[in-house]
Amino acid sequence: MNRGDDSIDELLNSYIDGELTQKQQMEVSRLITDDDQIARRLRDLQKCKMLVACLPHAQAPALGSVPAFAGTEDRRQRTEDSNPSSVLRRPVRRVLPVAAMIAIMAVVTAVIYSIFAPQDTADRSTPGTAAAAGFSGKLELTTSDLTAVDAFINRAIRDNELSDCVRTASLADRRVYSFSGGRDAVNLLLADLATIWERFGSATLMVETPKFSEQVVLGSVTAEQVAQIVKQEHQEKAIRMAKDFAVLNKMAELLPGKEMLAAAGEKKPSLITIPKPVLTGDGKTAKKPAPPGADTKEVELTIVVAAGK
Amino acid sequence: MQPEPANIKGFPQSRVPIDDAALLEKWRWGDSAAMEELILKYQNRIFNVILKICANIDDAAELTQETFVKIIQGIDKFEGKSSFYTWAFRIAVNLTLNYCQRNARIGFQSLDADDYENHPSTGSGQACPFDGLRAGSERGRRVLKELLSDNKSPDPAVVAQNKELCDIVVKSLMKLDNAQKTVIILRDIEGMNYAQIAKVLDIELGTVRSRLSRGRSRLREIMEAIAG
Repeated sequence: MNRGDDSIDELLNSYIDGELTQKQQMEVSRLITDDDQIARRLRDLQKCKMLVACLPHAQAPALGSVPAFAGTEDRRQRTEDSNPSSVLRRPVRRVLPVAAMIAIMAVVTAVIYSIFAPQDTADRSTPGTAAAAGFSGKLELTTSDLTAVDAFINRAIRDNELSDCVRTASLADRRVYSFSGGRDAVNLLLADLATIWERFGSATLMVETPKFSEQVVLGSVTAEQVAQIVKQEHQEKAIRMAKDFAVLNKMAELLPGKEMLAAAGEKKPSLITIPKPVLTGDGKTAKKPAPPGADTKEVELTIVVAAGK
Repeated sequence: MQPEPANIKGFPQSRVPIDDAALLEKWRWGDSAAMEELILKYQNRIFNVILKICANIDDAAELTQETFVKIIQGIDKFEGKSSFYTWAFRIAVNLTLNYCQRNARIGFQSLDADDYENHPSTGSGQACPFDGLRAGSERGRRVLKELLSDNKSPDPAVVAQNKELCDIVVKSLMKLDNAQKTVIILRDIEGMNYAQIAKVLDIELGTVRSRLSRGRSRLREIMEAIAG
């Protein structure tokens, strides 16, 4: 094919695709009418385009249910048996779940870094501005064993001497614990809650934002995530972290990590643990000291435990 | 005061299609449903483009997942200079082409190429490189031959329902080089205009025109050779 043919082909393709100006279109139309060869070439190209455009659209598999990840060995086997090239690519496919996990780990690392990044750097980035301090939010939990959980939480409140920080209310199908106090104090409560977290059918954290009636909703939240969010000194950082965790949890739902962890016998990725203060020294302390920060009102956290699955 | 549950996610659910920029803004404000909506909006389209480029359903599914991981990871860096649509497809196409190149480099070849190389007549200098395709799809070849020689325009519905024919078209596409194939897929399957294709592939508009033109001509030649 010579250069002239190339130019005519480009012109005809642009004509087919509606990428010509009105004037150019008219000229090409005239050319087609006058020249049978060009008209035939146009038909050929149109057929070619149509054949590709008519290819059926496949439905994307639900994210996370990819055979290679989902562990449906027989389905994968069938696919591989029917396609020799898949067998060749198997090592690559083996690597991809790991790559997906690495991607998740990268996000987790970014989140962790945002937590442990040097404070002064963050502070320098907003000179002269006082970021909103404090945390305000609601933690909604459901359990099939409300009475036992209620008893456990009440004991935790008593044992950690948090009675001054927590107001409780009992309703028919739910218990409400309104915490108002320091970060370390709420950490004690969350550390105890973490030990019975598996008893909760669902856990949702709603973080208040400066905008009226807007919240960051974090589903499938873990006690460790709540602790990390609450620990943030600035509301802005807490909100950002809640958003990051929301993405992470969503990804855990969508991506193969969940299946892989389940297959490995783990319940949930738990890279962060809540450090609970422990008594050190000679143990002669007569009275357990009040939790540090118990008298401050850095955190407003309403914990609602409702009866349910 | 705690808001009503309906307002918990911050934004009311709307049945009116919301543009990508608005969804992104909502997501940045903490509405995780907005990202879900974006994923739902594009997952099939991205999957189909990837599938047509790499021609393997498992690879396509994995690459689609990887695309969305990259989108979520890189969303903070997305400044909105281009549209989310072209940005997302750019990620998808780059991932897929890199994956294809990697496979090619380490010696993983397509089924068709294997057929060709293993064919007893290969090496004689006269063998048709599409013999492997001919063997298994006689009916498809017959339909294709009629289609290509007929002066009338074929009925798209009939074409779409003919599995053998579709298989031949897919395999013919796979014979194109990646650059031409990608442009054709973005144009004829995804329905992008030339400017969008240029943005996705980061090439000049003129390059899009020439690749598309040469690609379609080559595709036509390949299909004619298969039809016999």
